[in-house]
Parts: sequence; C-alpha cells; structure tokens
Amino acid sequence: MVTFSRLNRRQILSAGAAFGATMAMGGGQAGAQAGTFRFGLAMPLTGPQALYGADQIQAAQWGVADINAAGGVNGKKLDMIVLDTQADPNVGIQAMNRLINVDKVPVYITAWSAVVKAAAPLANDSKTLQIVVGANAPSISKLGDYVYTSYPLADVDLIALLKYMYGEGKKTAGVLYVNNETGISAAEIYRDAFTAMGGKIVAYEAFDPKATDFTGPILKARASGADMIHIQGQVSDTPQIIAQMRQLGIKQTISSYSAIFHPKFIQSLGAAAEGVVVTSLAPSPEVSADVAKYVQRWVKEKGREPNGLPYTQYLYDAPYLVAKIFEKLDKDGTAITGTSMRQAMLDIKTFHLPLTGQVDILPDHTVKKPVDLMQVKGGKWERITTIGT
Amino acid sequence: MFDLATIMQILWTSVATSSYYVLFALSFALALKVNKVFNFTQAAVMSVAFYTAYGCVQLLDWPAFIALPLALVAALVLSWFIEVFGFSILRERKVEMLFVFIFTFMVSQLTVYLISLAFGTWSHTIFQSMFWPVTLVGPIAISGWDIPALVVAFGSAAILFAFLRFSRWGQFMVAVSDNPDLAELYGIEKRKVYLLTILIAGALAAIGMFLYGMRAQVQPRTSLDLMLFATVATIIGGIGNLFGALIAAVGLAVIQNASILFISSEWQAFLVYAILFATIIFLPGGLRMPKFGTRFETKTREISLAEETPSAPPSTRAE
Repeated sequence: MVTFSRLNRRQILSAGAAFGATMAMGGGQAGAQAGTFRFGLAMPLTGPQALYGADQIQAAQWGVADINAAGGVNGKKLDMIVLDTQADPNVGIQAMNRLINVDKVPVYITAWSAVVKAAAPLANDSKTLQIVVGANAPSISKLGDYVYTSYPLADVDLIALLKYMYGEGKKTAGVLYVNNETGISAAEIYRDAFTAMGGKIVAYEAFDPKATDFTGPILKARASGADMIHIQGQVSDTPQIIAQMRQLGIKQTISSYSAIFHPKFIQSLGAAAEGVVVTSLAPSPEVSADVAKYVQRWVKEKGREPNGLPYTQYLYDAPYLVAKIFEKLDKDGTAITGTSMRQAMLDIKTFHLPLTGQVDILPDHTVKKPVDLMQVKGGKWERITTIGT
Repeated sequence: MFDLATIMQILWTSVATSSYYVLFALSFALALKVNKVFNFTQAAVMSVAFYTAYGCVQLLDWPAFIALPLALVAALVLSWFIEVFGFSILRERKVEMLFVFIFTFMVSQLTVYLISLAFGTWSHTIFQSMFWPVTLVGPIAISGWDIPALVVAFGSAAILFAFLRFSRWGQFMVAVSDNPDLAELYGIEKRKVYLLTILIAGALAAIGMFLYGMRAQVQPRTSLDLMLFATVATIIGGIGNLFGALIAAVGLAVIQNASILFISSEWQAFLVYAILFATIIFLPGGLRMPKFGTRFETKTREISLAEETPSAPPSTRAE
C-alpha cells in the first residue's frame, strides 16, 4: 500500500480520519493502522531537485510495493506517506509537521542537507525518528538524539581510501577540489585525515564549479611531484579533469570518490581511465545481479535509467530498513513510538539490505559500512579491496 | 614553480579552449548588434544542437557526418521558430526591452527543463570518449582536438566577417544594425534581416556547442552557464563590436587560465567577474578595440543603400 499525498483538504481529512481511527484503537500503536505500519517519506517532488527526488521516491515506492508483495511485515502491510519538500527547508518543515502531528508517524525518511538540518529540531522535540538517506554532510551526526542516517557520511569513504593508499606507500598527495561547499568540506576531510596518518599534502588546488578547462590547477599538481592526486569534483567535470591530466602527462595514481563509480566514466575516458581508483558505497549493476535487475526494471517501466542510481538504491532499501524495525517491535509486542523505533534500530544495528548490502547504524549517529575500492583495469572496474569489514 | 614549458602549455591550452567561447561570443554579439536583443535563447539553441548531436551519435548510432549537420538543422529550426513566433511578434507589439529580455530567459529555461525531462540530468558527450590523443610539440602537449577546434572557430569567424563585408545580405545586416528605420526606407526588409541574423547566430552557437561537446561533458544546464562568458565577452568587447567580442573571448580565456601563474586557483573564476565589474564601471562602452571592417561598413552603406530603391526589395535583387 503506497499513498502519495500533498497538503490538500481531502487528504488532510482522510489523515484526520486515520488519526481518529488510530486513537480509537488505543493510541499505543502510533503509526499503525489496522493491519498496516505507517511511515513517512519527505523528498523533493517539485522544484529544481525534483529530477533526483522523484526518482528516489519512485525507488522507495517500489521498495514498499515489493515488501508488501512478499507478504508485508509479519503479515501486515507497509504504508508510506509521501510528502514534497521541494528541497526547501521551509517546505520541508511543513511536511515534517504534517507527518509528525497529523499522520503521527513514528519514523520518517528524508534527505537534502538543508531540509535535514531544518527538520531535526522537530524530530527531537516530538521524539520521532528521522532517518536521513542520501545527505552526507558530516554535521548530520550531531543533529540530535532522533536523527540518524543510513547513508555513510562524507568521511567514511575518504578515510577508507586514504588508509589503502597510505598502505601502498603513497606519502604525498595533491588535491584538486571543486570550489563549492561539498568539495571544500570533503577536501578538508581528505587533507586532515591524510596529514593525521603522516602523509603530506603538497598541492591543494580549487577549481570553479563552472570551469571547462583545468590546465592551471593540473599543472600546479604536476609541478608538486605528488605520489598521488585526488580529485574531489562533480560527476560532470571529473572525467574531463582526468582526461586533461592524462593529456598533460600526469602518470601518478589518480583517485576520486563514489560519484565517479559508474560505467559511463570508463566509456567517456577510454584508455585514460586506466588505473583510476575510486570508492564505492553501493554495488554497481556490473557486480550485483540484483542491482542489474533493478536497473532493467527502470528501463522497462520508465524507459530510462534513474537519475543518481546509487542514491535510488539507498532509497529502495530504506523501506526494508524501516520494515525490519517494525518487524522487531511487532514480534516483541512493544508499542510503536519514535522512541521504541529508535531503540529497536540501535538494537538491530546491522541491516542486510537488498541493493546496498550491509550497513551498521551506530549510537554515535554515523554508519559503519564496508567501502569497496574499485580500480579501472583493462577497461572495466575491478574491486581491489574492501575496507572496514 | 613554473618553468617556461608550463607557461607555454597554459597559454596554448587557453587559446585552444577559447575556440568555442569565440563562437558563443560572436553569436551573442551578432544578435545584439543587429537585432538589438540580449538573446539568451541562444542557450536553448545550444542545448538543442548538443542533444540532437548526442542523440544521433550515441543513441541512434549514426555517423558524425550525418549527426552534426542534422543537429545544425535542428538548431536552425529552433532559431527560426524563436524569431518567427517570438521576437517578431514582440517587435510588432513594440514591447519593452526588459520584456524581451525576460522572454529570452523564459525560452532558455523552458528548453533546459524539457531537455532534462527527455534526457535526464546525467552528463553526456557527443562521442563516447572525450579523450583525445596527444602530440608533443617540444614540451607542449597538443591534443587532437585543439587544432581542428581552432580552425573551425576562427574559420567560422572569418566566414562571418567576409559575409558581412562582401555579401549583399551581410551589408543589409550592417545597415539594419546601424539604423533599421532608415534601412527600411531604402527597401531593406528588416524582418528578413532579423531572421537571417538569428539563423546565423544559431549556427555559430551550434558549431561552438559541437566543439564543446566533443571535449567536455554537457548537462542540460551547461549552456546557461556558458552564456555568462559570451555575455561578458560581448560587454567587454564593446556592444556592437563583433571583432571586439572575438578578441575579448580569446583574451578572457587566456587571462582566466594564465592567472594561475599569479593567483590561487580558487580565485580564477572571480577574475572574470572582476574584469566585468571594472569594465562596466570604468569603461561602460567596453574596451576600445578596433571595429573590424568599420571603414568598409560605412562604404557599404553609401553604395548599397544609395543604389537601393524602395520598389526593388533586396530579396528580389539577390535572386
């Protein structure tokens, strides 16, 4: 059972009716109607981020549909209430208010850092569990008792990458990063972690998010003689930077992060992609039959691959994570509240999810997740090691 | 830190990458010079040109010699549509410039949105690989893209200047840009000149986008970002001065890249805005660069318009 709703009168009335029914049942089972377990999903369905948000909602809806088709949670249906945040903090707060105060869900899923941060006080005050899926700002782990993430924050994969590289004898590094909030903060994490390990950053160069030529920063990195060069760029510009690096004669090991781990990266670079090392936080269609089937489902039903495939994998898995928590509480006969959901999630700790694999949700509000390091060898991605198992 | 080889490499790459900027700047400056519009619909034309080429080459697996002309035709059709169903109607209604300006923004945003729906927001290149083989000339690495791109860009610019200088319709464009009402009195059909200008501007923008899309990845919004550079080059070059826009585009590309020799890389983008700011404040008419063919343009008006009679429309004579 999947419901999509915006703030219209009919649905507010029906939500009110549902609320009344819930209360009539005794009120102890917040978020549970007769035979259902309810939770919320607040993502951008309109506005500039809708192209990503809509696909992530679609993925979560498929997750719910598949769980229900397989018998639901202890025989009960999962019911997901979808609200639009427009990736805007103000709209997001309205959506969370509705989920918390009208729909009385014990748990909701959301993303986009600005929305996550704006909604955190609501979750904490109302003791409603907020699960963040997709945003990766390190500050998310410090937003309060009821804000958790199932998506690794930015430091997880970079530290794993550095551990491997340092172990391989790379003692000096150059960093090229995109000059926006994401690039700057990730580059700082990389710099600080590498320095703490005993490495030395010998080039630290920013480039503009709208730049089309990177000769200057590349030549500075080349002149530094670094053992390796890390690129913390955007999906769109990183292949171009690597192409220019190879054209300008850089032969050192080049690394980047999970956004680059996709087959089109190799297609767009050809031989220039050889040797590039990246992190992977979600299996690709090449290494996982389930993910390959999932991508085929997109192509069959929507005529295209999803925007931001790895993120949609996490969103597909999010209902499975929530279902696992409901299942435990239902089995234990515990009243379903935000507090009990939070505790059950921490008790379960390790979740095995269909499209993203194992994840540990930790009491310090971070996640522990094995990070695969992938390298281009012979024109395809090969896993060279897994860090954090 | 930088040796001579590095400096030469930066300068060479800067000049090579200025190729598409030159075409974007010429396209924007031409529409502004003749049609008197800040034509941000150019971004829509650029996007359509790129995505048609990408669709034909990568999705339909057609050869480039079919795909690129087809994409050029798509860009020209969109340019024609925008002029006939947009600009000419607004012109007839004598709407304010600000409204035309908003219209051009609206068209480009709408097109970008539709392309996002059709192709998604993933980045694409026209050909599967964006990596070009490199030839070392002394210490300088010259990619297989550099010289053809320069030839195409500066060849297109030369053809444009020759067209304006030697062809009758080019002379009409110069005349209309100078004084449209007077040109009309002499029998030049303004509407056709405006249409021709938009078509030529569309072709230049499309060719520039092909060059860009063979070297870099493109998203639906990329064309909007690239428009900023064209706008800055046009203003710095002096509004109405095509040659100035060309020189400004090359100069800006070189300054932006070469600036890393003196400043931190994170300030490189700032430099363009700083130059624009200084130009608007201190040189509102742009830098005083020579107007290519100025002497000839005057002569053209004297000869062509004097020979023109209201009863003999230029199109008839051209035929």
